[in-house]
Amino acid sequence: MLSAPLFMAGPVPIMPAVVVTWAIMVVLVIGAILLKRRLTAMPSKTQAAAELLVEAVDGQIRDVTGAPPGPYRAFIGTLFLFILIANWSSLIPGVTPPTATMETPAALAGLVFGSIIFFGVKGGGVGGFLRGFALPNPVMIPLNMLESITRGFSMFVRLFGNVMSGVFVIAIVGSLAALLVPIPLMVLELLTGAVQAYIFAILSMVFITSAVEKGTPQPDPENPTPENKES
Amino acid sequence: MSFDLWTLGFQAVNVLVLVWLLQRYFWTPVAATIAARQSAAATLLEEAKARKATAEAALAEVDATRAAMAAERDALLATARKDAQAARETVLATAQAEAEALHDTAKAARVRAAETLKASAIEDAQGLALTIAGRLMARLDGAATDAAFLGWLVEGLSALSEADRKALGDAALKVISATPQDSAAQDTLAQAITAAIGHPVTLCFRASPDLIAGHELHSPHFTLLNSWAADLARIKAALALPDASQDTNGQPDAA
Repeated sequence: MLSAPLFMAGPVPIMPAVVVTWAIMVVLVIGAILLKRRLTAMPSKTQAAAELLVEAVDGQIRDVTGAPPGPYRAFIGTLFLFILIANWSSLIPGVTPPTATMETPAALAGLVFGSIIFFGVKGGGVGGFLRGFALPNPVMIPLNMLESITRGFSMFVRLFGNVMSGVFVIAIVGSLAALLVPIPLMVLELLTGAVQAYIFAILSMVFITSAVEKGTPQPDPENPTPENKES
Repeated sequence: MSFDLWTLGFQAVNVLVLVWLLQRYFWTPVAATIAARQSAAATLLEEAKARKATAEAALAEVDATRAAMAAERDALLATARKDAQAARETVLATAQAEAEALHDTAKAARVRAAETLKASAIEDAQGLALTIAGRLMARLDGAATDAAFLGWLVEGLSALSEADRKALGDAALKVISATPQDSAAQDTLAQAITAAIGHPVTLCFRASPDLIAGHELHSPHFTLLNSWAADLARIKAALALPDASQDTNGQPDAA
């Protein structure tokens, strides 16, 4: 899949994926601003849907981390929402979803990699975060460091491969068959896009939680401290 | 298939900016709205629980008050029943006592009235008997009557013991007759009395119409009643004492 820049901003090429991402950002932010102005104690249907989304994200975060969802809500929720909208943008004729290009999933995986470091250091400090690589023993340090890179790479490849393959299949079938034939595949692509967004968000949360838990001293159940007894 | 680093950087920055914007305009406000609603709901639930507790306490207090009132009412009813029973028994006892007193009073009055009526009837009968006896005596033959009474006088003297008859001669005997006796009659009486006593005695004769008929002997220590007036007096005494033995055979009564 080769894509040419839409325009050049000096030496910087502006690719279609970036423009589509800007469009998605504009839609989401304007919608959020409009929704924020209309937030009431008696929710409308739109507000109820938004609250349902927030509560679903909070529930997933709480299930995975067992901690209050506040620190992770914006990042995980935005990842899910952006990937979902980006995947479903393939339904708009002439639009290639940003997640079907390598740069966007790679950027998302890079952000997840950075967030793992950020939340790990925030939870256990630099020392605690680095000590997490030595678990269960220091021999595992190279493998743990390699794993932290490869799992981000796997997220990138998984998202990119699924979305790109779906776009390719729909394009090939559409070029070979009649106009309405790709519709079932497009419906399937909706499901695939939602599943991939969910998987990406949940895996991000799992990896962040793992880094936080490894960096945080765990209580010894056989020799509890007074603080642990109270908790 | 190419990989543009400018696009990678743009997308990373775009997503970071989107995270910041949505956190500012979507995630935080909506979560705050949910939290505010949950807090309001919790507050309402707490208030409802407090009001429910207050209502239950008030209900319990009302129930307790109602139970106390019922107990007090039962106690008052029991006391009233007890007082009424006591008052009833007192009234019944008083009424019974008054009735018995009235009954006794009426019975006594009735007895007194009957006794008074009986005494009055007896007195009337006595008066009637005296009147009848007087009128009958006026129609009878005086001589025959005197002879009969003289016979009964002799029988009375004969019934006395010898010692009593002898004692009669120690003092003068007074012979009282219902009608004045002439000398012949006095001799007849003297002979009969002397014969009955068995020795001579001193006699003096008197007349008393109160005797109606008959002859009586009187001395300082002896009286022989032998007259119709004495018989009527004995009958009157017998009527006054119905249970006593009556002697109405007209025999002379010696005392």
